[in-house]
Amino acid sequence: MGEGAGGWGRKIAQIFLRLTKPNTGASPRWSLWQPGNRQLFGYLLLLPAVLLTAAIIVYPIIAAIDLSFQRIKIAKLGRSRAPLTLANYEELFTSPEFYQAIWVTISLVATVTLLSYVIGLGAAVLVNQKFRGRKLARILVATPWAVPSVMAAIIWWWLFDSSFGLINWALVRSGLSGAMIPWLSTPGAAFFVIVVVMVWKGYPFISVIMLAGLQSIPLELYDAAKVDGANAWNRFRFITVPGLRSVRGIALILIMLWVFRDFPIIYILTGGGPQGTTQTLAIMTYQEAFKFHDFGFAAAIGVITLFISVIASWFMVRRSDQPIY
Amino acid sequence: MTRSRTESVMLYAVVIAVIVVFVFPLYWMFNTSLAPATRLRSFPPVFVQPEPTFAAYERIFNERPVGVWLRNSAVVAVSSTALSMFVSVLAGYSISRIRARGSQAIGLFFLMSRMLPSTLIIIPLFVSFRQLQLIGDLKSLVLAHATFITPFAVWMLKGYFDTIPSELEDAAMIDGCTPLSALLRVVLPLSAPGLAATTLYGFVLSWNDFVFARTFLVANQKAWTVNVGVASLKGEYLTEWNEIMAGSLIAMLPIVLAYLFLERYLVSGLTSGATK
Repeated sequence: MGEGAGGWGRKIAQIFLRLTKPNTGASPRWSLWQPGNRQLFGYLLLLPAVLLTAAIIVYPIIAAIDLSFQRIKIAKLGRSRAPLTLANYEELFTSPEFYQAIWVTISLVATVTLLSYVIGLGAAVLVNQKFRGRKLARILVATPWAVPSVMAAIIWWWLFDSSFGLINWALVRSGLSGAMIPWLSTPGAAFFVIVVVMVWKGYPFISVIMLAGLQSIPLELYDAAKVDGANAWNRFRFITVPGLRSVRGIALILIMLWVFRDFPIIYILTGGGPQGTTQTLAIMTYQEAFKFHDFGFAAAIGVITLFISVIASWFMVRRSDQPIY
Repeated sequence: MTRSRTESVMLYAVVIAVIVVFVFPLYWMFNTSLAPATRLRSFPPVFVQPEPTFAAYERIFNERPVGVWLRNSAVVAVSSTALSMFVSVLAGYSISRIRARGSQAIGLFFLMSRMLPSTLIIIPLFVSFRQLQLIGDLKSLVLAHATFITPFAVWMLKGYFDTIPSELEDAAMIDGCTPLSALLRVVLPLSAPGLAATTLYGFVLSWNDFVFARTFLVANQKAWTVNVGVASLKGEYLTEWNEIMAGSLIAMLPIVLAYLFLERYLVSGLTSGATK
């Protein structure tokens, strides 16, 4: 073992020398690209990135899984370990709050994804038409994408403000509502507000990806279909929809993962309330850890979210075949 | 394709209506930020300020530490992006060119780590950083952001390196370049637009973060980033909405500008694998 390590050390030193010394002699550079050296050079280049992610991503994941099997209220990682136990998971699977969070997560992901998809696709088809000023229209339609989540939440907070918000004013003024609605403290209404903010921030993402997909559909297809007498709906149904198949999957998975993992929008607007009606699994993880200091229990919820994220992203990686990027 | 006059009028009407609906919240934010404090709690709402004032902007800079928060955000974004670009250029080049055994698996891991839930990772990270006494210190944020930028940067850069013909490096090495100087003198200058886009995107990712900044820095107001600071301006009972809107506008301005430049890069980055 020690011998092997020494060998590697010498080899690394040799390579380093060769990498930094200017080419003086007749010896061709190519020796460096001999299979063994070339591989080692490849690993050397990967090393800093791997070390960084190992320390800040891989180690925390392992520590969190470990933590989820310990009954720890305020984490004292590394000092004293609590005995391994399944208690966190038992508590989790018998807690109504957990099932409520699962239900909230599923409904939020489904609603936001569906609405963002419909609106995003509509917007993409619209700005893909030929008209003067289309470039500007494309930028404007995509603007909410550029708004940071924190700011998106704050803007809508003001619009939905219970006493002086514009939306309440418009509802009362138009007679649609008899009184001001305390949006963020009313169970169904708070969920609605979260959906609105997420769709507003999420549809441009779909729209931008779909627009790229639309531009990859050859225009001749539409012309040919017109000649054959297909109407606008049929052209959309039989050319546009199948033509977008390749980008649709990625767009949907990315937006679902985004809603699934979102923290700032929900945290700022409701913190998961009222009565847990906007508490997703991600928010519940955070609140259990940093509000109730129940680190072990929080880690157990987090491990479940990790599991779901990994499966979803695996589907995505699989879908976008070879050169994934 | 030609359109009749009524068709074009309808198309414009729809386009304008859609844009107005989607962009209105941003206009409302701007409009509120120019309102004098006395006009905030009055009905009916004022759609165009008759006496626009920058008082809210002056107040947040004079009476709230918005300047400090902006500086913190900038320091963290620049340092974490720089750190991340250093490791990502090397890693991206390795995955694109050298393809050592197992490097594809590492690349795949980077790709998947973009999807991990930060609300889980932050729990043990908080514990570790507390032991290292980094909580409340901007360094904790730089480390965390650099790590979360890296997977994006590695894949964006790999994409740019893939577009540069490797014959160029071969030629440079025949002329006496070492592999490292071929990377520095041939590949990097050729991928300058890609490097710029990746750097800018790293900056955006760091600037936009909320969960790490809030968790690591909440106890130390002097170290807050602008996102944490602006979110804190919302009072329990009374909120000066003109100030919070002014702060939000300033905080998001650099990001909106960055997106205008970045959009086409991000689109091709997100879809090039799928549309080919």
